[in-house]
Amino acid sequence: MEAHLEQIFVKQLKENQNLIHKVCRIYAVSDEEHQDLFQEITIQLWKAFPQFRGEAKFTTWAYRIALNTAITLFRKKKRNIETTEFNSTTHKIDFEEYNYEEEEQLKLLYKAIHQLGDIEKALVFLYLEDKDYKEISETLGISEVNARVKMNRVKTKLKQIVNS
Amino acid sequence: MEGLDLLKKDWNKREKGFPEFSENDIYGMIHKRSSSIVKWIFIISILEVLFWTGIQFLLVDDDYKKIVENYHLGEFLQVSTIVHYAVLVIFIVLFYLNFQNISTGSSVKTLMNNILKTRKIVNYYVWYNIIVMFISMVFVWKNMITYDANLNDVLEKSVSTGSETGFWVGVLITMVLMIAVAGGILWLFYRLVYGILLKRLQKNYQELERIEF
Repeated sequence: MEAHLEQIFVKQLKENQNLIHKVCRIYAVSDEEHQDLFQEITIQLWKAFPQFRGEAKFTTWAYRIALNTAITLFRKKKRNIETTEFNSTTHKIDFEEYNYEEEEQLKLLYKAIHQLGDIEKALVFLYLEDKDYKEISETLGISEVNARVKMNRVKTKLKQIVNS
Repeated sequence: MEGLDLLKKDWNKREKGFPEFSENDIYGMIHKRSSSIVKWIFIISILEVLFWTGIQFLLVDDDYKKIVENYHLGEFLQVSTIVHYAVLVIFIVLFYLNFQNISTGSSVKTLMNNILKTRKIVNYYVWYNIIVMFISMVFVWKNMITYDANLNDVLEKSVSTGSETGFWVGVLITMVLMIAVAGGILWLFYRLVYGILLKRLQKNYQELERIEF
């Protein structure tokens, strides 16, 4: 039974692993931390998997657990003392298709995201993932109106960081 | 293209750069140990409970029984033991129920709230133990001074030599020292839990609370 469940889980996770990589991209500051966080999210997903009944989509269910792990459960190791350094692998930007100005702007934007707080990062992540305010409010546990207000503030803050 | 639109466009395209884990990699990962803060909080909570509960039971040896007899503490001990077991059972039930509530499937805010609530229950239990320890100490000292022949000799001597104040200062210093040791251990656990493990969580929880007001 366990082996069968394991098989289903591993297959689902492999297919949807980009979702977790994206969460790591927002929260991890180095390749090592990306790897650690990916692993912890995978463990938490596996632990919660027996309760996953399939009434929600695998991805919707996984978003929540991944974000909860990144924001609350994951303990950063000491070696990753707050740096906003760009990580090489996960931020390998294929800038060819952008002009110089866009390229610079993108670099600044990704850097700015790393300077945000954990909750603000979650909002940016959910925005980039095109989630509606209903899902954002349910994921974070705040009202829809307040999610909207906060989202606008975060967007303004991002612009300010980029422009400063 | 403007800032955020550009970012959104780039966001989904960037997937190519991610490392790709195979099924075998993922199998390996799910068999590794978690290092989540919930696990650490659970371990530390258990250690705390064992420590503070243990202290109360460690003292019970033959010498202790003699002291209980000599100082007429039997009744006090009986009542405090019953209360102690009752509180311990209530604590374990509450801790278990709250711990069960910690679910990664909850919303971000609910998860944080449930972790903080579970921790609070442990804190209450620790405070209960410290308060009981303090009350017992006062009680034991009171009866010791009333019933202990040796101590009474010392007290009488100090009265006759006019150094009664010295005697009471001695009693006071001993009590303060014991409180300081208990307080120091309490402080260490607090630092570990709130200074290291829950610092980030508390900051984020406060931010979520602020959004709602």
